[in-house]
Amino acid sequence: MTDKILASLRALHLISAEQDAAIATYEREKPFSLYYELRTFLSLGVTLLSTGLGLLIYQNIDSIGHGAIVTVIALLSAAGFGYAYTRRQPFSWLENPKASTSADYALLLACLTFLTLVGYLQYQYNFFGTRYGLLVVVPTVVFFLCAYRFDHRGVLSMAITGLAAWVGVSIAPLSAFTSNDYALPHLDWVAIVLGVALAAVGLASEYYDRKKHFGYTYLLLGSNLALIAATSAMFRSSYSEAGFMPPVLAALLIVVLSAGLYWYALRTHSYVFLLLGALYGYMAVTYLFFQLSDDRDWDVLGFIYFPLSTVGVVILLLNVKKILGIHENKGV
Amino acid sequence: MRTKAYSEEGIFNLEVQHTAQRWGKTKLLTAEQVAAIVQAFPSEFYRRHLFIKIALFIFTWFAVSAASSLVFLAVFESGSGSGHDFEERLLLGCLLCGTLAIVLLEQLIIKNHLYRSGVDNALLYMAMGYFLVVLGCWYSITLSDSFDPEMLLERGLLWWMLLPVLAVLLVGVVRYADPFLGALSFLLYLGIVVALLLPSGLGQALLPFGLMLASALAYLLVRLLARRPDYLYYRTCLRTVKVLALAFFYLAGNYMVVREVNALLHGLNVSVQISYAPLFYLFTVGIPLAYITLGLRRHDRILLHMGLLTLGFSIFTYRFYRSVLPPEVALTLAGIILILLSGVLLRYLRPAKHGLTAEPADNPEFSVLDLESVVMAHVSEAGMKVPERGFEFGGGTSGGGGAEGRY
Repeated sequence: MTDKILASLRALHLISAEQDAAIATYEREKPFSLYYELRTFLSLGVTLLSTGLGLLIYQNIDSIGHGAIVTVIALLSAAGFGYAYTRRQPFSWLENPKASTSADYALLLACLTFLTLVGYLQYQYNFFGTRYGLLVVVPTVVFFLCAYRFDHRGVLSMAITGLAAWVGVSIAPLSAFTSNDYALPHLDWVAIVLGVALAAVGLASEYYDRKKHFGYTYLLLGSNLALIAATSAMFRSSYSEAGFMPPVLAALLIVVLSAGLYWYALRTHSYVFLLLGALYGYMAVTYLFFQLSDDRDWDVLGFIYFPLSTVGVVILLLNVKKILGIHENKGV
Repeated sequence: MRTKAYSEEGIFNLEVQHTAQRWGKTKLLTAEQVAAIVQAFPSEFYRRHLFIKIALFIFTWFAVSAASSLVFLAVFESGSGSGHDFEERLLLGCLLCGTLAIVLLEQLIIKNHLYRSGVDNALLYMAMGYFLVVLGCWYSITLSDSFDPEMLLERGLLWWMLLPVLAVLLVGVVRYADPFLGALSFLLYLGIVVALLLPSGLGQALLPFGLMLASALAYLLVRLLARRPDYLYYRTCLRTVKVLALAFFYLAGNYMVVREVNALLHGLNVSVQISYAPLFYLFTVGIPLAYITLGLRRHDRILLHMGLLTLGFSIFTYRFYRSVLPPEVALTLAGIILILLSGVLLRYLRPAKHGLTAEPADNPEFSVLDLESVVMAHVSEAGMKVPERGFEFGGGTSGGGGAEGRY
């Protein structure tokens, strides 16, 4: 294949004879790269070793004692935070240009072990008592601080997940008392509000240029949360009577959110948000269509609606490059 | 009508663009040269984002299903018949839907320049599915009561019925070079071998060897086809078949597979030791090592990866019958060995030794050539001009998506 390509490039005088020879030699003699294979081996080895050691510790917990384990985890976490701190860059609201990969991984390790530590302390020593909220709040706050200080998007998404969990944990016991329906419809409300708020934070961080590159994470997690919650609200309240918002309203909310995502995708040339908007929007529009035409003949409507609408979506997606105005390979 | 559905020139130009971009990253070409090459080899095809492809596939699937339900509605509602009424109507409906899907597919490929974009994949698979149902209905009508695969298998007739299925799939493979259809054809080919061997006692005894031979033949065929000038068109498809051929060559000789299948065929509850066991021990150990050695020597990543995967399966096979170490100790030891091995190799193979390296592929530091002189010589060559057809700006859709798919 190389020879064929080189020959056609030569035929059009796009490369010189020397380059032709040089590239042919390069392709023939270049070494076989084992980079990814060896990396995979390394991470597989780490996984196997940590699983094996974990099992060994679990089996010999009596002779080791919990104190020793807590100490080891705490030391590990502290070492990770310490390493990340020594390799820190000065704080800025912009994306860190020279991020160190090892420091990033050390921070991730530190945060994960910190989570384990908190969980272990609670499980074994009942450290936080019955204030379960605190169990989630403490790591969440730590993660948010770390994400902003060390400019780490992975830790940011962990922090956002923690935030959502905290909201879920604090709300669930309340709704168990206030509502007979155990399906927790109040969680939908909270999730929608939180999702919209997160998306707003994302937009704000882009608009005010405060950690602009965090906007993607906020917006992706927030919009997904809000859309999933609205979808579940839409379907739940159409099957059971104890809905907190009429399904049509939920569907309209989804349409509005999808339109927002579509607008954002156009602005930032982003595939992911266009796709999210299209999928959720299609679902909600379909729902509305059949909801508003409930008296008529569903069979005939379905036979007309589904082929036409899906073809419409396919045409939209086929022309996504034109719509987004992407010329080069950029955007996620 | 051409044999190949997609434009070979477009695929070649896309390959040229990607190769030029790779050489540009390795600094073998200047950025201006890469730009000139991309303009001189325009391609209507571009690689879509994976998410987009999946969404397109699903929605096309919906659309075709919805449209064909209209066709089936029309076919089943009209008139009344007798005897094989249901089968005949199903056959007619599937034939109509399959033909419509193929016509639509061809039109879309010509007009919209689709190339493995999700839409064409979905249409092709659905059309193939309809045609296979047509074949099944036809069997069921012509054979009427005696259409029973198990009975046919016992009489050694089933493979006759599988041959037309394989033929239909192969027509699809030749025209569309689709990897999934290629994989299906290979599996069906192995199925035919099994259907040939299973009915007789001797055939059952020879089953592992027959399957190994069949896989080896398929592998040799792939290597032969790779020398054809139109290899690029079928590259993905042939690679898929190569992976499967290597996998089944190993699995057919793997001790555990042979032993358990043997027990299954003889209706035993507990598998027993098989005859020629040492031979299968040898296969289980030897094939992965051979794959790895060959892969490293030929710089063949598929062979290497299959070797590593099969080695893992061989270890699993060993532990399945003999428990040497408690699992936690085995995990810890394996982890330590892997970490040490990869650590040592990562250090040892930097810089490259024995044609192997631990650096990422196409690292600029690889090129030991005196690049500056090459580039300077090139710049002084006055003939360096973009040929005329490159100046048409019609090829504006080209270029994108270089970052996806490869790593």
